[in-house]
Amino acid sequence: MKTPLVVLLASVAGCLSGASADQPPSPSTGQNACRVPDNRVLGPRMSERPLPLLSGDAAHGFRPACTVPWSTLSPDKQSLPVVGCYQDNLLQLANDAACGPGTGRLWVSIRWVRTSGEQQRAQSTPTATCQRLETGTYAATRDFPATPCTPPGTAPDGDANAARPAATAAAPSLPTPGATATTPAAPSAATPRPER
Amino acid sequence: MSMGGAGGLGRRVREARPRLVRGALHSLLLAAVALFFLNFNLVGTASPSKRYSQDLVYAWFGDEAWLYPRPRAPAPGRAAAPHVVVVMIDEQALALRGARWPAPVEFHAQLLAELEVLRPRGILLDFLLIDPAPRTDICDLLGVAARLRAGGTALYLAVTQPGDLATLQAAACLDASGTPLSVDRVFTPVSVQRQADDSDFVGRHYPFEQRDDRQAPGEGITSAAVRMYCDATPAPKGCVTRLTDAMPANAGFELAWSPTGDPFNQRWAAGSCVETVSPLRAILNKPALPRESRCPPVATLFARVLLNPAEDPTLSAERLFTLSDGAFFMVGGNFRGSADLVTTPLHTLLPGVYYHAVALQNLLAFDGSPKVRKEYRTPKIAFYCYDLLVLWLLAAIFLWRQQWLHGVRPLGLSPFEISPAARGWIAPFFARFPTPVWIVAATGLLLLMATYHDLQLIAVAAAIVTVIIIELRVARGSEIRERLRGLLLYLAAMCLSLAVIVGAVWVGYRWLRLPPGDWLGYFSFAAFGFFLAHTAILEFGRRIDELYAARTAGGHST
Repeated sequence: MKTPLVVLLASVAGCLSGASADQPPSPSTGQNACRVPDNRVLGPRMSERPLPLLSGDAAHGFRPACTVPWSTLSPDKQSLPVVGCYQDNLLQLANDAACGPGTGRLWVSIRWVRTSGEQQRAQSTPTATCQRLETGTYAATRDFPATPCTPPGTAPDGDANAARPAATAAAPSLPTPGATATTPAAPSAATPRPER
Repeated sequence: MSMGGAGGLGRRVREARPRLVRGALHSLLLAAVALFFLNFNLVGTASPSKRYSQDLVYAWFGDEAWLYPRPRAPAPGRAAAPHVVVVMIDEQALALRGARWPAPVEFHAQLLAELEVLRPRGILLDFLLIDPAPRTDICDLLGVAARLRAGGTALYLAVTQPGDLATLQAAACLDASGTPLSVDRVFTPVSVQRQADDSDFVGRHYPFEQRDDRQAPGEGITSAAVRMYCDATPAPKGCVTRLTDAMPANAGFELAWSPTGDPFNQRWAAGSCVETVSPLRAILNKPALPRESRCPPVATLFARVLLNPAEDPTLSAERLFTLSDGAFFMVGGNFRGSADLVTTPLHTLLPGVYYHAVALQNLLAFDGSPKVRKEYRTPKIAFYCYDLLVLWLLAAIFLWRQQWLHGVRPLGLSPFEISPAARGWIAPFFARFPTPVWIVAATGLLLLMATYHDLQLIAVAAAIVTVIIIELRVARGSEIRERLRGLLLYLAAMCLSLAVIVGAVWVGYRWLRLPPGDWLGYFSFAAFGFFLAHTAILEFGRRIDELYAARTAGGHST
């Protein structure tokens, strides 16, 4: 009758990572940060926060080294090459001096930095979009979900938007290269009509 | 008012005084009997009733700000109110850094380094770091912890006894400048001892501190939530003293639980975080407490999401910083087979760290004055006197109702009693059947109702409707009017009693800091005629009164 939440949480974890609760734990490969060729760290996600750096390696384990601002890693604010990667969440930089001598090349979590791979993926991901037509109806690409169209410039509800998968959440504001097929959205009572 | 009128009123009051005093004394006697039975804990039966009624209040109104105020999202540009966030480590999080259960010290050091970016108000590590670990790992942990401390983040480490920090202390770590890193200076040891109610093993009760009977109040290890809350106040020592002073060793406060999950958790929870439980369900004989809520009441950030954005691509860095602004992070584990689970009244089983998280939420919600049971209060008898006062009022209403009812229905029949005319109609109806037949039929019906709960309400409703129809057909008009007046009087008395109960529970909750666990007892006394069963004591009291009066009169005459 009372299912332990640990099982429920494990199920949720399974849903998020695409694995069932019975499978052995494995890190997610959703972003595939380690498979991006010539990946580069473009900068911090939040400029005013220092970045936690790790030393070590996969064989000997990682250990916290220090925290430094982005300007310490890149004084001229240039992007930095990624020279190593671990489990899609740690990126190794060529820098081995930011935390003092003897640390070896330092690692940073992908959580705190923007990468070129991430940017490329955002640009190349096929994106469904929708558009309000002159007639007052809406047109959308075939992949657009069956949710109401939110035209560019219209602020969607923050939380509802955040809860959706990234591909659909960002859909209305991004261009769709090569998308020719359109699916006209049938006007309904909820569809606003142009003012006359 | 004329002098004559005032004189008449004074005379009437003087004349009525003995009657009023007698009525007050009789209702007091009745209330004392009721108080005794409310607290008559034969084989522990009184406790589950109080705890269940407390759970019902939180299930029905736990998301109402007047019962359980919780911090709201701050206005733009305003500092966030202190709030609690659970950071959950699981196997996937460990795997992201190549670690396995049990979470190694080095993993905690790495996680603390990541959490440092978020600049929380405080961090609790709900892990016992008592196993031997490499010195370098311990020094890494202490180094990061010292950095966090220096940055204004308070750090707390779970212990079960004072010597639990010895392993960390033995590493004799030094910081970058060569100064020894003292464990005591970077980590505040806190107790993570849990208490469950004996009757159902539910975690409603949070200890102030962990100490044995030989220690004086305040000498034990302060519980995690208490220490974290007090350290955030202007006078931490005074706060701890205030909460632990004059308390027995096992004392604690009651945890208010909200049936509603934290909205942040909707991003990962499988079910809805908005749980509504209507009191109507209890009346309709349905389960009155929420079933398995898949959305805990405290915002939960999975460590694997923190370490790997791909786990939840929609969780932006900005949202993370908003979540952590002014937050107390409570880092706990959710590992299969670790058995670190707590049974909660409204969310079934949750990982153990939620126990401390909800306790801290309670302290924040009630400004450091959480609800404490009468058993742990000083002077204890004063709080039972409050109970007696409430019951006295209810008893007075009951006696007033009885007195009026006697005036309205001089025959002395209760408004709920079947009239002689109706009895005269029903009895011959059943008498058509042989006694074994109707007794077996009635037994069968009652057995069915006992077995199938849904039948109970239907049967009760059908019986009431049938009796009303029979009464309307056979009873005299004057008798029906008399009965209606009696019923209205009963309803009026019940409404008054309910108002007294609501007021008493509110005063107890708001100003006396009592958990809302007594209302069901009050209500059952007022509603279900418990008083009726015990008015015999009044008859006995009256008889004693008469004997005393006779003896006194005899004494005077002799």
